[in-house]
Amino acid sequence: MPEKIKLYDDSKCTACRGCQLACKQWNGLKAKQTVNSGSYQNPPGLQPNTYMLIRFQDVADDKGAVKWLFRKEACMHCTEAACVMACPTGALYYNNDFKIVGLNREKCIGCKNCVASCPFEVPKYDHETDKVYKCDMCESRIMNGLEPACVKACPTGALKWGDKADMMKIAAARVKELGESASVYGDKFVGGTHLMYVLQEKPSVYAELKQDPHVPYSVLAWKSWLKPLSLLAAGGVIGGSFLHYIIHGPKTPDEDDNQVNKAEGGK
Amino acid sequence: MKKGLIKATDAFERVVHWALAISCMILFITGLGMMFHSFNFIGTVMGGMRILKYVHNFTGIFFAVSLAVAVRMWWKEAGKFEMPEDIDWMKAAGGYLWHVEKVPEVGKYNPGQKAFFLAVAVFGAIMFVTGILMWFQPFSPGLIVLSYPLHALGFVILFAFFFVHLYLGTVGSPGSAPAMFSGWVTRAWAKKQHPRWLREMEESGRLEVYGEEKKG
Repeated sequence: MPEKIKLYDDSKCTACRGCQLACKQWNGLKAKQTVNSGSYQNPPGLQPNTYMLIRFQDVADDKGAVKWLFRKEACMHCTEAACVMACPTGALYYNNDFKIVGLNREKCIGCKNCVASCPFEVPKYDHETDKVYKCDMCESRIMNGLEPACVKACPTGALKWGDKADMMKIAAARVKELGESASVYGDKFVGGTHLMYVLQEKPSVYAELKQDPHVPYSVLAWKSWLKPLSLLAAGGVIGGSFLHYIIHGPKTPDEDDNQVNKAEGGK
Repeated sequence: MKKGLIKATDAFERVVHWALAISCMILFITGLGMMFHSFNFIGTVMGGMRILKYVHNFTGIFFAVSLAVAVRMWWKEAGKFEMPEDIDWMKAAGGYLWHVEKVPEVGKYNPGQKAFFLAVAVFGAIMFVTGILMWFQPFSPGLIVLSYPLHALGFVILFAFFFVHLYLGTVGSPGSAPAMFSGWVTRAWAKKQHPRWLREMEESGRLEVYGEEKKG
């Protein structure tokens, strides 16, 4: 099956939050009491029971006119995903068909490696269940030929789910329509994300949007270098010890030194 | 116990050594179970990866306590290099790698043993600190993520050193192992491995010989 991505076009988004609700409903996520922080953005960020949310942001242009900006925040489903590299149990994995990042909750042991590794700060740890939660692109739906729940719920066409090549074409055409400050976000880092944005403003305008996300060098050093080195070094020592034993030989005491008198007489 | 054996370690030293050694080995095994997916079966054997995680974390605390006691106990004898005799010993590689007519004499611990002790002390402490940071994640992910390569580096060093220690404590240096089991070693072994220590203990009358009254 061809690789698929989800495309979010913020210029078409009305922040109705139908997607946010559909996500909760499909994934069976109960809402919790939140606090009014003076914004429609609710809850304030991703949570173990909130896999995606629409961010609300007031932006003033050069003439002082205030404009609302929206952004759907969720797992970006990296092609080179730090969380998958860091996960000790294989609970986080690449879906073979669509290349999205799935999460098998049965396998999650709550080690939080992914929480520390994710360049987008997406996975959220829940103390009560001692597990981590994030969007899995509705893997059970897409594997059965359906769209993710959020895409299904979107009334304006701001969210689309389709073959990567088609989506990239749509995104490029839309950026052209929107003009100078518009751009595609997600195709230039971590091997390409599987949630991509068409942004009407420059990326730096959006609150909490990572400007240069990449797999942390710490994760690369850990998994690509030190992990194999640990076995190589130990193997080298074991092999070296064996060679030492057969070439130089062990450091054996001289047997006659056990005679006390002789030992003392030698001084 | 044979007459004429020499007491190299006391019971407390041996208990601390094994507390450190056994916790360290449990940490190696459970750590490998998390580092390599192909070793996940270690978690399966233990009743699940979640149980393995908790065994690793709580053994880490036991390890840290053992390490603190061990460092306190051995610091005086193994924590500091003595010049110039330690340098001379290192230049001769302790007689381990090529033929040396007379290996420079060193005290109770030779520089190789001191290096091992210091590596365990320093990287053991790093393992504890980074382990706690990864477990509780009290800071932002950008800071916590630095713990992972440090923890892995500590593993590279300690895992390799473990096999050096294992070899030189057993077949690579026959007669050494009893020092950490019964505590009694042969006079010939002490004379070969720690001649200066043997001489100083005898001269000061502190040497305990099995079946003999303590001199002095």
